[in-house]
Amino acid sequence: MTPWLMAGLLFTPLAWAVLTLLVNFNRGRLISWLGILVQVVVSLGLWAAVAGDGGFHYQLGGWPAPLGIELRVDGLAVTFVLLTALVAAACGWHASIYLDPAKAWHRYFWPLFWFLWAGLNGVWLGGDLFNLYVGLELISLSAVGLVALGGESAALRAAIRYLMAALLGSLAYLLGVALIYGQFGSLSIAGVSRLLGEAGTAPGQTLPLLLMLFGLTLKTALFPMHGWLPPAHGIARSPVSALLSALVVKASFYIAARIWLDLGGYLGSYGLAQLIGGLGAIAVIWGSWRALWQAKLKQVVAYSSVAQIGYLFLLFPLTWGVAEPVSLQAQQGITLQIISHALAKAAMFLAAGNLIMSVGSNRVDALAGVSRFLPFSLFSFGLAGVSLMGLPPSGGFAAKWLLLQSSLASGQWWWLPVLLAGGLLSAAYVFRVYRASFMERAGTDRFFHPSRSLEVIPMILALLSLGLGLVAGPVLSVMVLPFGEGGGQ
Amino acid sequence: MSLASLLPVFALMTSLLAAVIIFTLPERSFRLRTLVNLGAAVIKLVLVGVMIWGIVQGRAYEVAFTMVPGVRFVLRADALSMLFAGLSALLWLLTTIYAVGYLEGSPNRSRFFGFFSLSVASTMGIALAGNLFTFFLFYEMLTLSTYPLVVHRGTPKALRAGRSYIIYTLCGGAVLLLAIAWLHGLVGDLSFRPGGYFAEVEDALRGPLSLIFVLLVAGLGVKAALVPLHGWLPQAMVAPAPVSALLHAVAVVKAGAFGIVRVVLEIYGLDAASDLGLLAGLAGVAAFTIIYGSARALYQVDLKRLLAFSTVSQVSYIILGLCLFGPVGVAGGLVHLVHQGIMKITLFFCAGNYAETLGVHRIDELDGAGERMPATSVAFTLGAFGMIGVPPLAGFTTKWIMGTGALAVGMDWVVVVLVVSSLLNAAYFLPILHRIWFGERQAAWPQERRWGRLETSAWLLWPALITAVLLILAGLLANLPVSPLSWVELIVAREVAL
Amino acid sequence: MFESASFVLFAVTLPFASLLLALRSGLQRAYCYSLPVLPLPALMIALLSDPGWLLSLPGLLHGGLWGMDDLRRAFLLLTAMLWLAAGVFALGYMKGYLKADNLRRFCVFWALTLAGNLGLTIAEDIASFYGFFALMTFAAYGLVVHEGTGEANRAGRVYLVMAVGGEMAILAGLLMAAQLAGSDLLADLPATIAGAEQRGLIMLLLLAGFGVKAGLPLLHFWLPLAHPVAPTPASAVLSGAMIKAGLLGWLVTLPFGEVSLPGWGDLLVIVGAVGSLGGAVLGLRQQQPKTVLAYSSISQMGFITMMVGAALASADVAVTLFAVMALFALHHGLAKGSLFLATAMTLPRSRIGQWLMWLLVALPGLSLAGLPFTSGAVAKLAMKEVLKPDHFAFAAAPYLPALMSAGAVATMLLVWRFLWLQRAVGKIGRNPVAMWVGWGLSLAGSLILFWYLPWHGAVPEKTWPTAITGEAWSLIWPILMATLMAAVAPRSVRQR
Repeated sequence: MTPWLMAGLLFTPLAWAVLTLLVNFNRGRLISWLGILVQVVVSLGLWAAVAGDGGFHYQLGGWPAPLGIELRVDGLAVTFVLLTALVAAACGWHASIYLDPAKAWHRYFWPLFWFLWAGLNGVWLGGDLFNLYVGLELISLSAVGLVALGGESAALRAAIRYLMAALLGSLAYLLGVALIYGQFGSLSIAGVSRLLGEAGTAPGQTLPLLLMLFGLTLKTALFPMHGWLPPAHGIARSPVSALLSALVVKASFYIAARIWLDLGGYLGSYGLAQLIGGLGAIAVIWGSWRALWQAKLKQVVAYSSVAQIGYLFLLFPLTWGVAEPVSLQAQQGITLQIISHALAKAAMFLAAGNLIMSVGSNRVDALAGVSRFLPFSLFSFGLAGVSLMGLPPSGGFAAKWLLLQSSLASGQWWWLPVLLAGGLLSAAYVFRVYRASFMERAGTDRFFHPSRSLEVIPMILALLSLGLGLVAGPVLSVMVLPFGEGGGQ
Repeated sequence: MSLASLLPVFALMTSLLAAVIIFTLPERSFRLRTLVNLGAAVIKLVLVGVMIWGIVQGRAYEVAFTMVPGVRFVLRADALSMLFAGLSALLWLLTTIYAVGYLEGSPNRSRFFGFFSLSVASTMGIALAGNLFTFFLFYEMLTLSTYPLVVHRGTPKALRAGRSYIIYTLCGGAVLLLAIAWLHGLVGDLSFRPGGYFAEVEDALRGPLSLIFVLLVAGLGVKAALVPLHGWLPQAMVAPAPVSALLHAVAVVKAGAFGIVRVVLEIYGLDAASDLGLLAGLAGVAAFTIIYGSARALYQVDLKRLLAFSTVSQVSYIILGLCLFGPVGVAGGLVHLVHQGIMKITLFFCAGNYAETLGVHRIDELDGAGERMPATSVAFTLGAFGMIGVPPLAGFTTKWIMGTGALAVGMDWVVVVLVVSSLLNAAYFLPILHRIWFGERQAAWPQERRWGRLETSAWLLWPALITAVLLILAGLLANLPVSPLSWVELIVAREVAL
Repeated sequence: MFESASFVLFAVTLPFASLLLALRSGLQRAYCYSLPVLPLPALMIALLSDPGWLLSLPGLLHGGLWGMDDLRRAFLLLTAMLWLAAGVFALGYMKGYLKADNLRRFCVFWALTLAGNLGLTIAEDIASFYGFFALMTFAAYGLVVHEGTGEANRAGRVYLVMAVGGEMAILAGLLMAAQLAGSDLLADLPATIAGAEQRGLIMLLLLAGFGVKAGLPLLHFWLPLAHPVAPTPASAVLSGAMIKAGLLGWLVTLPFGEVSLPGWGDLLVIVGAVGSLGGAVLGLRQQQPKTVLAYSSISQMGFITMMVGAALASADVAVTLFAVMALFALHHGLAKGSLFLATAMTLPRSRIGQWLMWLLVALPGLSLAGLPFTSGAVAKLAMKEVLKPDHFAFAAAPYLPALMSAGAVATMLLVWRFLWLQRAVGKIGRNPVAMWVGWGLSLAGSLILFWYLPWHGAVPEKTWPTAITGEAWSLIWPILMATLMAAVAPRSVRQR
C-alpha cells in the first residue's frame, strides 16, 4: 500500500505538470481537478497510514541513503503533506473558477501550480540538505512564475524582485550546504547531527549554519528581509497569493526549523537564537503596524503574512537551551501556528479576492456596504481574521497559548508582550477592514456577485482554521515527535 | 457518555445552529427566520430548565476533552452556571421577540439575528464553561460576535463606538489571556471548583498569585465595566435597543462580572482571596464604580446613555457583594446578577419603545410620555424603582441582602455606599418619572408612529411587560423556592460551605 | 371571618386589583366611583375582627407576616375611615375640580397610596412594612403634584427629596437593626436595638427617617408645601392618615418598654415642643387656609413627639402611652381630615345655613383644641393623665404640663387663624352630594363615631363624660385665652 501512496504523492504532481503544459487553461482545469482529487486521496491515505502505524523512512527507488534519496515520512511531514493537499486543492479549485480563461498566459497556471506542489511535497518529506535545496528551488521558481501570472508590469516587477531575493537566498543556502558537505562529508541532517554528537563542535562550523539560516530566512521574509514579500503577494492573483502565503514561505521555514532543531543545539548559540527571535518579534509588530496602514486590501493581508511569519521565528529562542518539555511545547505551538496560518491566510486571500472581484476595486475603503451584499465572503475573511488575531477557539489561539506557556516556562517573559501586542495589532487591521465594510454609504449598492463556490471555498478553509483549536490535541498527537528525530522508525 | 451529559452541548448548539441557519437565510424570509429564532430560544429555555431540574436532583452534566496538550475544554452545568444560563436563556427569548418587532423593515436583518444568536451562544458558553480556559474561549467569542451588533447601523457614530468597544475588549482579553496562561503555567489546568484551590498558599506563590488576580480582574473588569475600564459601555449605546438590552444589560457586562465571580469563588476561593488582601481592593474599586456610575448618570441627557452609566454602577453591586466575604454578601451579589439583568432589560426595552414609537431619545423630550404610552411607562417606572431599590421590587432584595451581609462582617461602610447609590439612583430616575407622568406635552413627538389600538407594536410591548412582571415577582416572592434568591441560596450553600 | 387569610389578602390586594380598571381609558369614570370601596374591607377588618390575629405569608419577600394588634387596629381604623371619607369626597371633588383626562392618573395614584397606607399598618415583617411604606411615599408624590402647577411641582420636588432621604435613613436603620436581630420581624427589633452597641445611630436613623413623614421640626419643610397643593381629598389623607404612618414607624421599631432612655426622652420632648409651638407660630403667619392646617398638623405631631419622648424615657409607662398616642392619632387624624375637606366646601345661601356650616367647620378645630365632649377632650385628658410629671424621672418631665397648656393655646390660635382665612376665601355655591357625604362622614367620625370606635385596650379606664366635666375648666381656659388673643391681636397689629 505505502509504495503506491508514496508514488502517487510524488509523481502525480510532476506528471500533471507535464500534462497540463500541453493543453490550454480549460482543459488543464479538467485534468487538474482529477489530479487534485488523486492528491487529496493519496495524502489522506498516507496521513492515515502514519497516524495508525507511525512514521517510517522511505528509500526512493530502493537505494539506500548516500546514493539514493531517502525520505523521512514522519507524523509531522504527513501532517504538512495533508495541509498542502487541503490548501492547494482549495486554491486550485478557487483558481479554476477565479482565473479568466480568456487570458492566454493563464494556461501556465496549471503547470506552475503542479510544480509547486511537487516541490512542497519534496520539502516536507526530504531528509537531506541537497534534496531540500532542490525542492526549494522548484518551489521558488514556480512561485516566481505564478506571481508573474498577474500579467501587469507591476506584477512582473514584483516577480523579478522576488526572483532576486529567492536566488540570493538559494545561493546562500547552497553555499552553506556545500560547506557542511566539505566538513562532514554528509548531506543527511540526521547524519550531520550524529557526527556532531560524536565528535563535538569545532570553531568555524557555525558559518555554514549561519549561511543556511540567512538564505532560508530571506526566503521566509524575516524582518528586515521581508521587502520582497508584500509586493509579490499583493500583486499576484488571489489564489496564487493564497498559495504563496500559506505554503511557500512555510517550506523554507520548515527547512530552517529542521536544521536548527537538529544542528542548532551544537552549532547555534543563545545570542543567535535570541537574535532570530528578536527579528521575528520585530516582524510581528512591524508587519502588523504596516498592515494597519495599507490602502489596498491585499497589501493588508500580505503585511499580515510578514507579521504572522514573525511568530514562527520564536521557535529559535524557545527551543535553544531549554528543558525538553518546554521545547516540545514551543515546537507544537509553532506547528499549530504554521497550520492555522496556512489555512487562515489562504482563506483570507481567497475571500479578499472575492471581495475585490465584487466591488471592482482593491482599496479597503471601497468596501463600504459590502457586508450587506457579500456577507459570506466577509464572514470568511473575519473568521480567518479570528485565527490571525489568536482568539479562541482558533488554531491561532492554541498556538499562541502554547507559545505563551513555553515563554513563561522558559523564563523568556519578554516574548509575552510581543505575542499579546501582535494579537491586538492584527485585530486592529482585521477590524479596519470590517469597519469599512459596515460603513453605510450612499450609492454603494451595485455589486458583482461571485459564484457560490468561490464563496464557499474560503469559508471551508476559515472554518478549518477556526476549528483547529478545538482539535489541536488530536492533530498534535499525530506528529508523534514534532520535527522528530526520525520519528517512529 | 450518556445523552443527558451532553445537555450543555445541546444548550450551546441551539443558538449556534440557529446562527448558522439564519446566516444562510435570505434577507426577505421573515417568517422562517422568526420561526428559527423563537424556536431555538424556546428549545434552549427548555433545555436549561431540564438541567436546572436535574441539578436540583443532584445530577451533574459535564462534557470534557483535551483541546491543546495540557488544556481541557470543559462544559459543565452546575448551580452557578445555571444562574447565568437561565437568565440569558430567558432573556434571549424575550429579546428575540422584541428584536423582531424592533427591526421590522430595517435592512441587514439576517446579519443581525445571526450575530445575535452567536452572542447568545457565547454567553451560554461562558455560563457553562467548566474551567478558565473554556471560559476565555467563549469570552473572546462574545467580543467578536457582539462587534457587528454594535456597529449594526453603520453610521460613523456606530463605527466609532464599535472601535472603542473592540479596543477595550480586545485589550482586556489580552490581559486576561496573559493572566490565564500565567496561572496555568504556575499551577496547571484549573477546573472551577467550589472553594477554589488556594486555601493554603505557599509564600513563594503569594506575589505571583496576587498579581495574576489583579490581571484577571483587570481583564474581566473591562467587560464588567469597572471604572476606569468602563469607557466603551456608554458609547456602545448607539447599538439598536435589543442589543443594548440583552448584551449590555445582560450578556457582556455580566460575562465580566460572572468571570470575576468564578475567579473569586472557584479559583482562588473566598478565604484565599481575602487572605491575600485582594478582596479589599476589589471592594474599593467596586464601591467607587457604583458611586461614580451613578454620579455620571446624573448628568446625562440621552436616555440610553443614562441607562448605560446606571449599568456601570449596578453591575459593580455584584462584585461588591462578592467582596463582602461571607455567604450573605455573596448571595446578594449573585442574586443581583439576575435582578439587575431583569430590571435593566426592562428599562432598555422601554427606552427602545420610546425611541421607536415616539422618536424620543433625550430625557427632556419625555414629557407626557405616560399618557401616550402608559403600559411602557409603567414598565419603565417599575424598572426605575427597582434600580432605586424600592421594595418589593427585585432591586430591594439585593440591596437588603447585601446590606445585612456587609453588616454581618462589619463592613458598615458598604451600607453607606448602598444608601448613597440609592439616593443617586433616585436623583436621576425620579425626575425622568416626573416627566413621563406629570410633564406637560408642549410639542408634537419627534417621530411618532402609530400601531392601531395598542400604544406600540405588540412585539415591542409584551417583552417589556413580561420583564416588568418578573422584576416584581423576583422581589415580591423572593422567599418562594422558585425565585432567583432561592436558587442563589442553593448555590451559596454549595459554594461557600461555611 | 374578617381575620381569615383570604379576607385580609383581599383587603390588601383590592386597591391593587382596582388598577385593572385603569387599563381602558373608557373605564375611568367607573374607576373613580370605585375609590370609596377600596378601603372598605380594611375598615371591616379593623372594626369586626379581634386584635391578635396573624397571617403568615412565607413566600412573600423575605417571609411575610401580617397581623393586627391593639396599636395597629387604631391606626387601621383611622386610615380606613379617613380614606373612605376622602374617597367619597373625591367623587364629588373631581367633577368640579379635576381635568377629566387626568382622572385616571389620579385614581391610580390614589389606589396605590391607599394600598401602601393600609398595608404598612398591618405589616409585621420588616420587608413588607418598608415596602408598603415606600409605596405610599412614592405614590403620594403623584397626588402632591397632581395639579401640575409650578407650585405643585416645586412642592413635589421638595417632598420627594426629603422623602427619599427619609427612606434611605429608614433603610439603613432597619438594615442595621435587622442584621443584629437576625430576624425579619418588626417585633424583634425593639429589644435588639435596646441592646445594640450602635443604638444611638440606629435610633437616630429611624427617628429621622420616619420623622420626615411625621413632620418633625427641620424635617418638616415639605409638609406645609405638599399638603396644601394636593387636591383637597388627598390633602386630607396626607395630613390625617399618612402623617401617622411615620408615627407608627417609630412605635413599632424604637425600643419602647425595653430600656429607659432619659436622654432620648429629653431630646424628643424638646423637639416635640419646638414642633408644637414653632409650628403654631409659623402657621399663624400663613395666608392659605390649607397651609395653616398643615402647620397645625406639625404642631399636633409635636404633642405626639413629646409623648414618644416620654415613652422612650421610661420603659414602664410605654404601654399606656402607646394607647394614648393611638387615641391621639385617631382623634387628630379624623379631625384634621374633616378640616381639610371643609376647605373645599362652599357655603349655602341662607344665613342660618351659613352659620350652621361655620359651626360644623369649626367643631373639629375646637376638638383639636380640646373642647369638652369632643374627641380632643378625651385625647387631651388621657395625655395629661399619663404625662403627669411624677411618672417620670427625666429632665424635661416637669415642663410637660406647661408645654401642653401652651400647645393647647397655640392650637386654638391656629384654628382661629384657619377660620379667619377660610372665611376670606369662602364662596357661596352648591356642593356635589358626594362632597357633602364625604365631609359629613369625616365630621361624624370625628365628632360622634369616635366615641363608639374600639379604642386601644390600654387607654386608662374612665367614665369619660364625668371626667371631662370634672376637668372642664382646664380644658376650656386655653380655648378662651386663645380666643381672647385672637380677638385682640389683629387689632393691635392693625393699629401699628
